[in-house]
Amino acid sequence: MKLRTVLVAVAFGAVAAAQQVGAHHSVPVNFDQSKEATIEGVLTEIKWVNPHAHFRISVKQPDGSVLEWLVEMGATNTMKRAGFPMEKFMVGETYTIIGAPGRRDRSILLEEVVMPDGTRMTPTMRPRDPNNRNQG
Amino acid sequence: MPVSAQTAAEQAAGKTAVKAPATIPDLSVNWIAGGGRTTFSDYQLTEGGEARFKAYDFMKDDPAYMCIGASWTRIWLNPNVVVELRQTKEEIRMRYEWMDIERIIPLVDPLAATVKRNNVKGHPALGYSAAWYDGDTLVIDTVDVAPGYITTMDLRAGLPQSRRMHTVERLRRDGDILTIETTHVDAANYRTPVTSTIKYRKTDWEIMKYGCTPEEAAVVAPR
Repeated sequence: MKLRTVLVAVAFGAVAAAQQVGAHHSVPVNFDQSKEATIEGVLTEIKWVNPHAHFRISVKQPDGSVLEWLVEMGATNTMKRAGFPMEKFMVGETYTIIGAPGRRDRSILLEEVVMPDGTRMTPTMRPRDPNNRNQG
Repeated sequence: MPVSAQTAAEQAAGKTAVKAPATIPDLSVNWIAGGGRTTFSDYQLTEGGEARFKAYDFMKDDPAYMCIGASWTRIWLNPNVVVELRQTKEEIRMRYEWMDIERIIPLVDPLAATVKRNNVKGHPALGYSAAWYDGDTLVIDTVDVAPGYITTMDLRAGLPQSRRMHTVERLRRDGDILTIETTHVDAANYRTPVTSTIKYRKTDWEIMKYGCTPEEAAVVAPR
């Protein structure tokens, strides 16, 4: 596992989409949706709760040390309605998280996850559209 | 199914509500956000309001960290949660999935010298509300709110509210769309009213338990 943080400017649509995005603390207030980050690490904690579900993930840095990241999602109720397969997530497995970096250190809004078998999922269970980052 | 606005006995007794329609609008279904574009009016902050707005710190001031509702605009702004609305002749019952808020609003004559109002236990910033019908529109009138924030969302996060704020929600149904126009008048913070217009749509989804706990809601950073 390695830290891979990639910042990519998103050209259009992020601000407009942000008006509709759902989480309790307001996504655009807490995350920079003009950027994209990717992290890979070992899942250490799963919380399927409201107003926002979250994971804790241990991310190994190039010098070998490990830092914890907080991965935030929308409300668990919303993800249940979307049919998000929560039962497929296991502590101890390695996941890649793609999303908007937090305005706090080491936090990220999950927009897409790459599972250990390589399959990709979004919280809405619809294909990810970088120009419409409304995760609902 | 429309509900009779007044009984024959009430009509005979001369109890006439202001602009009471022959039938009241049927709003008694489940609703979910996503009925159309949300809009906000322009607003002009007072000097004190500007200072309070600038002082808002999203890292610690959002009442949602404590599982508490900020204002009715903030409640309606929350996306992807169900609102169950039910009407009786005496009251409006609304269950908001967000924070498991249960709102029972007495239907009153707005011209009465005093009107009965209800609050939502545990959510002081949501004040005390009474309701009536104005033609095809349900009007909900709220006063006595605790100081806080009209919204914690987007660029308006931290718009303040004072104890002096008066809130009027106007709910109107057009087919499967419910438009909620909420106007906040707060002379301590604004020189002009602040109005949000939010659209919900009819849904078959049922309310789900929210179960917010401050311990989990306040988790916003890694250890």
